[in-house]
Amino acid sequence: MRVPLRVFRARPGQSAHRDLFVVEVPEAAYVLDAVELAWAHLDRSLMFRHACHHGSCGSCAVRIQGREKLPCITLVKDVWHGKGELRIDPLSNFPLVGDLVVDVGGLFDRLSASEMAITHAVGPGMAPAGERPEGMEQLTRFQTCIECGICVSACPTMATNPHFFGPAALAAVHSARIDDGDPERGRRLLHVVDTEHGIWRCHGAWECSEVCPQGNEPAWRIMDLRRAALGSMARGG
Amino acid sequence: MAHSAYSPRRQVWKWFNPLGRGLGMWAYVLNRVTGLALVLYLYLHLAVLSLLSHGPSSWDGFISLARSRAFLALDVILIAAVLIHGLNGKRVTLLGLGIGMRVQKQLFLALMAIALLGVVVTATKIYGWW
Repeated sequence: MRVPLRVFRARPGQSAHRDLFVVEVPEAAYVLDAVELAWAHLDRSLMFRHACHHGSCGSCAVRIQGREKLPCITLVKDVWHGKGELRIDPLSNFPLVGDLVVDVGGLFDRLSASEMAITHAVGPGMAPAGERPEGMEQLTRFQTCIECGICVSACPTMATNPHFFGPAALAAVHSARIDDGDPERGRRLLHVVDTEHGIWRCHGAWECSEVCPQGNEPAWRIMDLRRAALGSMARGG
Repeated sequence: MAHSAYSPRRQVWKWFNPLGRGLGMWAYVLNRVTGLALVLYLYLHLAVLSLLSHGPSSWDGFISLARSRAFLALDVILIAAVLIHGLNGKRVTLLGLGIGMRVQKQLFLALMAIALLGVVVTATKIYGWW
């Protein structure tokens, strides 16, 4: 099928515009396939990120038809139905590097504050005993969050408060507190986010949970952190 | 620890754009719009009340306007704003305390159904339909 891509183009200091690329893709093509074809055959100056191509690295995150998604696992036919154009824009709420590439440094800055490990232990109820290799007492898995920044882009609070800790980093703190089980570390992490620009800056739009491609539920985690903070306050902590 | 800011651009219009977004975002936008409407109403209300200081003729003139069917529609809209903002506010309070997080969408729909019922009952009473 012939797909008209309307892609955001800009370099810092230059005015933005949108270029039209018409590409021929198979029926089962993903949006990233279409972008790559546009880059390969039509305009080699097009900037975009891509890596794993299967939704586990978060590098390629963009806005497709105005909605944050991973183009590597978004089928063209799911977001474009033969009429109009397939609009692709960079993530919001991040400084623009160029075209579809944004500077995600602010996100990683805050993620590092959560002291987040990239793996965590699988609890006893999370994997049936029969699936555990013999002799292996403990399973670990990677953290659910792939640090794609999609939740940050969708957050309306981030649109007006660039100092907000952000849904991804707050969710990371929540995850680190639960997975670690160390009360002192938990208190320390809670203290980091129990601030004006931390958990209390969220206004509950729940869009972060809505768009998260991994089901990490940042909004629930933020509210749970609030519950923890209030509990700590009640106990005189 | 100092953190670099995300994007320096402030985009207030994103507070009011729920298109393509989930139910939580619609609730968020609705709360902001009704909240601003109620603040605006407050100022208008005070301005109207100040007519009392201009004597009976000014006040009576306003009252005859306020009884018109077109103006009564504004009262229905006001009640709708109060119910939507108030009930959704209760939802926001509960969620902020960590209560009902798994059913936030259902909570919103249920409370808006109650708000709609309230608006219908109010309109019925205001217009004397029943």
